[in-house]
Formats: sequence, C-alpha cells, structure tokens
Amino acid sequence: MSAPSSRCTGSGQFLRQGPVSPRPVLRMGTWLSLPVRRRSVVVGAILALGLLVLTLLTLTLGTLGVPLAELPRAIVDPAPGRTEFVLNVLRGPRLITAIATGAALGVAGALFQTVTRNPLGSPDVIGLGAGASAGAACFGLLIPGLIPVPAGALVGALAAMGLVWLGTGRGFSSPGRMILVGIGVSAMAVAFVQFVLTRAGQQEATTLATYISGTFADRQWSDVAISGLTVAVLVPCALLLSRRLDLVEMGDELADSLGGRTTLTRSLVVLVAIGLATGAVSATGPIAFVALTAPQVARRLAKAPGAGILLSGLMGAVIMTAADLLVQQSPFGVQLPVGLLTALVGGVYLGYLLVREWKKGTV
Amino acid sequence: MAILSAAGLRLGYDERVVAEDLSFDVPDGELTVIIGPNACGKSTLLKALARTLKPQAGTVTLDGRPLSSYRSKDVAKRVGMLPQSPIAPESITVRDLVGRGRFPHQGVFRQWSHADEQAVEAALVATGVAELADRHVSELSGGQRQRAWIAMALAQETELLLLDEPTTFLDIAHQYEVLELCARLHREGRTLVAVLHDLNQAARYATHLVVMKAGVIVASGTPGEVLTAPLVEDVFGLPCEIIDDPQTHTPMVVPLAAPTAQAR
Repeated sequence: MSAPSSRCTGSGQFLRQGPVSPRPVLRMGTWLSLPVRRRSVVVGAILALGLLVLTLLTLTLGTLGVPLAELPRAIVDPAPGRTEFVLNVLRGPRLITAIATGAALGVAGALFQTVTRNPLGSPDVIGLGAGASAGAACFGLLIPGLIPVPAGALVGALAAMGLVWLGTGRGFSSPGRMILVGIGVSAMAVAFVQFVLTRAGQQEATTLATYISGTFADRQWSDVAISGLTVAVLVPCALLLSRRLDLVEMGDELADSLGGRTTLTRSLVVLVAIGLATGAVSATGPIAFVALTAPQVARRLAKAPGAGILLSGLMGAVIMTAADLLVQQSPFGVQLPVGLLTALVGGVYLGYLLVREWKKGTV
Repeated sequence: MAILSAAGLRLGYDERVVAEDLSFDVPDGELTVIIGPNACGKSTLLKALARTLKPQAGTVTLDGRPLSSYRSKDVAKRVGMLPQSPIAPESITVRDLVGRGRFPHQGVFRQWSHADEQAVEAALVATGVAELADRHVSELSGGQRQRAWIAMALAQETELLLLDEPTTFLDIAHQYEVLELCARLHREGRTLVAVLHDLNQAARYATHLVVMKAGVIVASGTPGEVLTAPLVEDVFGLPCEIIDDPQTHTPMVVPLAAPTAQAR
C-alpha cells in the first residue's frame, strides 16, 4: 500500500521542482483564480511609478509649479490663491485629461491591433481622427455656434465610423476591409478640412489647426469628465472582452470552435475601441500615433502574448503625460499642440515598424 | 444514434455551393478518416461539424439537439477542432498556447483553476511536449509545433476531436508521429475525425474510412471494405493496384506505372 502513496509524493515533487514549473496564480476560494505573469507585473509597476513621477514633475516644474513639499497639503486642502489656481485651473485638469486620454488611446490601439492582427491597426488608420477633424472644422468654422467644437469632433468621428461601417458591407466584423475603407474615409475627411481652411480667416484657421493637431491647453473639468468617464466605463468592457480577443488572435476557425464567437467578439471589440478613441478625441482633438505606439511598446516590454490591455493603457498615459510635460516646459510655450510632438515621435516609430515588418516580409 | 450528426446539409461559401443534402453520422468511438480529391468538400464538412461554418440548410445535432440551441461554450466542452492553419500569437509559450484550450471551462473570475492546471499538464505529457512547455512556439520545429497545437485541442477535454489535415506541411517522419498520436488518443477512448490526403496513411490509421467526391459521400466503412482499385480510379482518377500493407495488413494503394515507364 505504501508504493502508490510514495509515487504520489514523487509526482508532486516533480511538479514543484522539475523543469515543468506551474505558473503563479492568484486564488481566492474556488471562484477566483487569475494567472499572474511576473514580467507583466514588474513592467506594470515600473510604468505606474513612471506615471507618478511624470505627474509630480508636471505639477511642480517651472515658475508656476507648486513646490513638492507643499503639494500634499495643497491637494487635500487647496487654499485659495496661486497654488489653487495652478492645481485647479492651469495644470490639474490638463494633467488628468492627458492621463485619461492617453490610457483611452492606448487601450483602443491594443484592441484594434489585436482584432486586425496588424501592428499598424489603430483608430488613426481607419479614419477616426480625420473624421473628428472634419467634424471640428464643420461645426467650428463652416456653421459656427450650432454646437460646441468638441461635440462637433464627436459627431465627425461617429460619422466617419458610420461610413466605415457601411463601406465594408460587413459592419465591423472584417478588419481588413475596415482599414481599406478607413483610408478612403480619411482622405475624404482631410480634403474636407482643407476645403474649410481655405475659406476661413487667418485667426480662425490657426485656432482650428491647433485643435485638430490635438491639444491639452486650456482643458476644463468638463474635459476631465468626458475622458475620465470614457476610461472608467470602457476599459472594464475591454478587459471583459480580452480573453475572447486572445482567441480571435489564433484565427477565426479555432476561436469559433473554442466557443469564442468570433464575429460577435470582433464587432464588440471594435465598438469599444471606437468608443474609447472617440471619447479621447472629443476631449482633446485628435492626437496622433499614441494609439499606434503605446500597445507596441507595451508588448515589447512585457514580451507576453495577447492584447495587453492594462499595460497598453498605462503606456498610453505615460507617453501622453511625458509629451505634454515637454510641451509645457518647451520654449514654444504651453499652446504648442501636443499632437505635433506625438506625431513627430510616432511618425519615426511608424517608419521603424514598417521597415521591420518589411524585413519580416509581412507588408 | 451518433453523438454528433449532420443531416441534409447544404454547405458553401457565399454563392458557391460545395455540398448539397449531405448527411453524416460521426461514428462514436472510431478514428474516422475522410479522404477525397481537392475541393470535394471534406474540410467543409469538418468545419460544419465544428460549427465554424454555418450550413445554408440542414442541421448538425449534438445528442439529438441542434448545435445552434447550445451555448457556444457548452459545445466547445464536447467538440474540439484543430483547423488546418491556426495562428500562433507572437511570443507565446507552449504552455500558454495549450492553456488557451481551456477557454470553454473558464469564466471571467475563474481563469486558472486546478482542473485547468491538471488538464494542461496532462495534455503536454500526452503529446510529448512537456519538456518544451516553457519554450516559445515560434522556436519549435514543424512536428513539435503541430503536437503543441494538438495538446491545445486535448486540453479542451472534449470527447470528440476534429482534425483538419493535421499532417499537411510536416515532413514524413513527423507525419507518422502525429498519426501515431491520433491512434493512441483513439485507443484511449476518444472519438476522432481527421481529414487526410495520403490514402495509405488513411488506410493504415482509420478504423472507419469515409470517401467523398464532389460534395457526396461515395463510400464508407472499414478501409478493407472501402478501398478498392475501381473506387480509387473513379474518385481520384488514379489507376492503381491494391496490395496488402506488409506491416499492418491494411490495404495499400500502388499507382499503376505509366505505359512509357513500363516499357523502359
């Protein structure tokens, strides 16, 4: 009788000490069990720390900065005056909007890239940003005063996505077609913006140009509310979808046979991604390339399969706050559109990605 | 009554109809192999059985109930399918890949139970990839990769397993390795259905052979009953002689030499 029991312990030891090491799992009773990837946790912690540092720098740097020693008291109990003005009006809303839109764009990009199985998939590519610009141009300059410009951007983004939905003939279930139709919709929207700009006065044109490059200057608490709410509602939705999305990554047939319901999953994921990007756009105007780069960088750091929703969101927030910090401290002044900076850096990165893909032979 | 059964299927892609009024009961407990020339509808039939292709007419039933009446995950707990060319996500390890086969058994909060752990370990061992568990799938050879995919399908713990051309793209030794694995899984009590191209491999490993031509099942039974020279000539257009496989005593297809070659 002793032989079987000793064999049992033997195999148990094999599982613990052998080359086959089971992964760490977070467990609570039988209802909760989540696998944990050490590397992802470490990367997440580093990014969170980075975001904290950027936050402190944003609030404390420069002549108007709140000294670090005064910061805790100023946040808990803002006495009226200069400090309160800096926190509540000048830098606070701007900072939180940057974090929220960065996170929203990062997650939107992660969703798009996974669902299209294409590292270049992003809301920019399917014409969302261009549509928002066209909306802003239309309601800012062509028929001003009807609705506020951010609402105009929202309308434009939704209209562009409506065109893409109609243009594919299969709604949002075919990513390849979405990219093709999106490029067309983008071109139309850009042409429309150019048309409006040619008819506008110089002052108006400059204002519009700043908005459609994406900016954090003069953000209000209403922008914080839009972007914050977007993130609070849609990022959990993205997390709920992420395991089905992981299956879609392995091909439609396999995903379907595993119970992943590919077509439904894909449409929902695209909807959530569009919602996130649209929320970000209506708070700040279209900010280029964050949705494209954040998930790519996060993926390379984590070296994990799957969409990497949380890390992409954190990465997006880090990129955005870093870019805005540079803008605020730059010699060109706080009115420089942050979108110009992200487009510059993102453009270089896009080039690198294209070359890499080209070398791998996938483009 | 077979557990998985198809009746009166019309199958096709958009306008192109591949099969009309096709019925097929998957024989319980057998290793069924479907053969037929290209575009005869064998993979299409398999896709319909695995509900990755929606029939334009007719129904596929599981325990007598239409597949469409089940929750998607509930079917996935009973019928597994390995498609012809699944995509391995970038930088995924063998263990993580196999773990994805557990999806139908998991929930939002219960993502990695002890049962999941055990099923994955068992699947890794059964397919002989346990030593490769922490390697990246992209580093594996073709045969190892195919075994990892089969391990993923095994971790799903389904009583039925459908394999679409599991030996394609593999070199010859790895083909037999995968087929031996299928035979062992069958001996251990699973029902398997595989689409194969090689007639001699089909004859050797099938316990039940199904021959399709132009969307119609033209013959089915044991390889010995089914595989005759007139049938092979009729279905594949290949004049041949059937001899006894000296190893397994199953039928073996030997194509006739062309007249010019005979003269030489």
